[in-house]
Amino acid sequence: MTRAAEAALLFGAALLAALGVTMVNLVGGGGLDAQVALTFMTMAIAFGAVHVAIRSFAPEATATLLPPVALVSAFGMIEIYRLDPYRASLQRWWLLLGAAAAIVTLAWLSRTGLNALRRYRNVMFLLGVGLLLLPMLPTTGGLPVRGLEANGSRLWILVDLGFVQLNFQPGEVAKILFVGFLAAYLADRNLALTGARRKIGPLAIPEPRQLAPLVLVWAASLGVLVVQRDLGASLLLFAVFVAVLYAATGSGGYLTGGALLATVGAVASWRLFDHVDRRVTAWLRPFSDYEDAGYQIAQGIFALGTGSLSGAGPGLGRPDLIPFASTDFIFAAVGEEFGFAGSVAVLCSYALIVATGFGIALRTRDPFRKLLAAGLAFGLGVQVFLIIGGVVRVVPLTGITLPFMSYGGSSLLGNFVLVAMLARISHEEAA
Amino acid sequence: MNGPTRRLATSLFLGFLVLLGSVTWIQVIGVDRYRDDPRNARTSISESGKERGIIVAVDGTVLARSEPDPEDAQSFLRVYPAGPAFAPIVGYTSRLAGSAGLERGFAEELRSRRDLTPSDLLAALFGRDLRPRSLQVTILPELQQAAYDALGGARGAVVAIDPATGDLLAYVTSPSFDPQTLTGDDAVAVREELLADPDEPTRDRAGNELVRPGSTFKTIVTAAAFETGTYTPETTFADTAAFQLPGSEASIANADGNPCGNGREVTVQTAFVRSCNTVFAALAIEIGAPQIGRIAERFGFGESIELPWSTTASLFPTEELEQDPAALGQSGIGERDVRATPLQMAMVAATIANGGETMTPRVVSQIFDADGETVESFEPRSLGNPISQPVADTMSELMERVVTEGTGRRAAVPGVRVAGKTGTAEGVEGAPDVWFIGFAPVENPRIAIAVMVEDGGDAGGSATGGGVAAPIAATVIDRWLSIRP
Repeated sequence: MTRAAEAALLFGAALLAALGVTMVNLVGGGGLDAQVALTFMTMAIAFGAVHVAIRSFAPEATATLLPPVALVSAFGMIEIYRLDPYRASLQRWWLLLGAAAAIVTLAWLSRTGLNALRRYRNVMFLLGVGLLLLPMLPTTGGLPVRGLEANGSRLWILVDLGFVQLNFQPGEVAKILFVGFLAAYLADRNLALTGARRKIGPLAIPEPRQLAPLVLVWAASLGVLVVQRDLGASLLLFAVFVAVLYAATGSGGYLTGGALLATVGAVASWRLFDHVDRRVTAWLRPFSDYEDAGYQIAQGIFALGTGSLSGAGPGLGRPDLIPFASTDFIFAAVGEEFGFAGSVAVLCSYALIVATGFGIALRTRDPFRKLLAAGLAFGLGVQVFLIIGGVVRVVPLTGITLPFMSYGGSSLLGNFVLVAMLARISHEEAA
Repeated sequence: MNGPTRRLATSLFLGFLVLLGSVTWIQVIGVDRYRDDPRNARTSISESGKERGIIVAVDGTVLARSEPDPEDAQSFLRVYPAGPAFAPIVGYTSRLAGSAGLERGFAEELRSRRDLTPSDLLAALFGRDLRPRSLQVTILPELQQAAYDALGGARGAVVAIDPATGDLLAYVTSPSFDPQTLTGDDAVAVREELLADPDEPTRDRAGNELVRPGSTFKTIVTAAAFETGTYTPETTFADTAAFQLPGSEASIANADGNPCGNGREVTVQTAFVRSCNTVFAALAIEIGAPQIGRIAERFGFGESIELPWSTTASLFPTEELEQDPAALGQSGIGERDVRATPLQMAMVAATIANGGETMTPRVVSQIFDADGETVESFEPRSLGNPISQPVADTMSELMERVVTEGTGRRAAVPGVRVAGKTGTAEGVEGAPDVWFIGFAPVENPRIAIAVMVEDGGDAGGSATGGGVAAPIAATVIDRWLSIRP
């Protein structure tokens, strides 16, 4: 696909967002107004600028990465506007900021090259850990950065700059830093990890020394679950870690070991923690536990079911009946108003983004960049799977964001950087 | 290194396929289930304010209609002029409280299609009529109201059926509520209040409450015995004051503690007319659980009926009772493990009245469009023949004797031959649930009826089916005579 086609598709996504906002307006008796213009301009400027940045900083990058991102972003914009126009105005700023972050990433990487990141391996690790720990800062006091508890989880920080207060979820950025660290670390000591095996019966397992990092990260992600009560981030972190380890070594023992540890952790936390138990109950029996824990999931299913094949139409459904519709349940909101057709469009777009990411990883020869691309693509895919799976009852609901669609700045910012990195890897491979 | 990466990608795509499958299940296959779930307010919200069709009885009584909203020219209000007696049939549709009854079951037909959904626009393009359609119901409004009044606020139910067609003539649950109260802005609070009421006015006692049928179940046991061909009304049993249950310390006595007749031997006919427990415990054990279970199932036990609202299936646990003769003896007189809904017992009476053929209960006779033209009519449908014509005729004779000379004398109505069977189901605790099932006129039955009053109504612990339920049945049958269509 050519760059010109990419530009045309991005323009189409901006038009789609503007059209959707217009339709929402029509339902309320309005029509073409400033909101429509602002939506179109924001989308066009944000994605147009990233497009131009790719042209100048990563001209050889694949052109199939950005258009599906713009499409899901358009769906998200319409539904957030439909649910809460004020949030939509904030989301527009975040979209511009996210695009800016992507451009800065592209510009910086084009100066230094991706392999420069390898040198900052330990910095990335420490930064990632630091970001994960940030929400544990005291919630009160005079510090400009404070922890924030929301919906029973401790995964937000409040940045108080005096004139403006921003909520930020540092885990979204930490995810990328960890993938970067892992890719660099494993690219350096790949051989050590694939080396000696110990035989126990028919199972060949790696030396305990090699399993140590696995257990360490397992403990860390359980820590995230226990201390921050964040099921989603915990699972995501662990899954990405195991996946990158497996991609680097090709040793199935890590998968088996990871699956075992994850099962143990999952069952234990289900037995031990009320908030996990509630989620499992809501997952298995949303309708019999309707008045309590199951309410949100049941409403999401009602929304999707009522949307049926063609959907209620933008502004004509009632996604506002779903708690947290614009964040955790944005997929149900799209499914209700755009129907099965919209759901499939969203799923296919994500599949295309993830497939492009993996395609980049497969074509790349340099081990660091290959692992980086695979880790980023896998992380994005697992995140999409976990949250959509939570909405459609494939897995228990874990409150993580749907990349590029959910309302929220940290998620947009982090995922824009992620896409910029994938584009850069793609460029370096082709160049 | 590409092998593992490929496998990671593949597993992720399998995961995405699972998502796609689940979304397909929810949005394509399971649509009806989720869209029509009563807790899903979306449908009733989108329908509120729009014009809907009327629900009307054969005699022209309007049970539900839409009126222009005086405060909003664009909008309509839903009105239920017929009141609480009709709530279990008509139901309601409410922006805040969901929907129920015919309003829910026929929501697709009743709604206006002029609301610009893509499928409606497509239908209009092909010349379909988009105006709301209306329902004609089989309920006789005067009979429905009379039956509701006859229960006098007691917890109970009355179901009346036309035996030849299966038409529901009355479907009453008491106490009830005014569906209009659920259409206002305070609907949520009203619903909370209704749900908190200990008398449970929103409960459908006619079709969704399982009660021990007491001696009315003897109709099924007797019919099952006659169906074997070895028993007749003249078959005799030992006449004792108490029947010792096999393998158990317990025994079964008659209601008055005396033998049924002369104390030596007694015919099935006499035992039926006087409702003697000793004989029916023995008879049930003799013919066995499989035979009773088979006939009960043919009468409709074990199956729920969509009216279109769902009703609960009545129960006769054949396999358990086969292992436990003592429990079978007790179940043979409608106690212990047998449970039935008033709807089910009305169907039993209707089947006997109709010469052994059960007709599918029907509430809506036709759907018509805004011009009054019939769009769809529902013809009477047979559910099968649980018993033969001769057995039905014999049962009819026995049941008439119950009313002329037995426990059901207070169901008698001057000027019409009434047949029936009483029931007094002693619960484990509290006052008995009392029953009367029957039909009239015996020579050409046009109405079959089941009356059930929980905990004996006002009579409390001393209540019997003959004393409490039979007079209610008489009132309803008497009323039917005066309006006979």
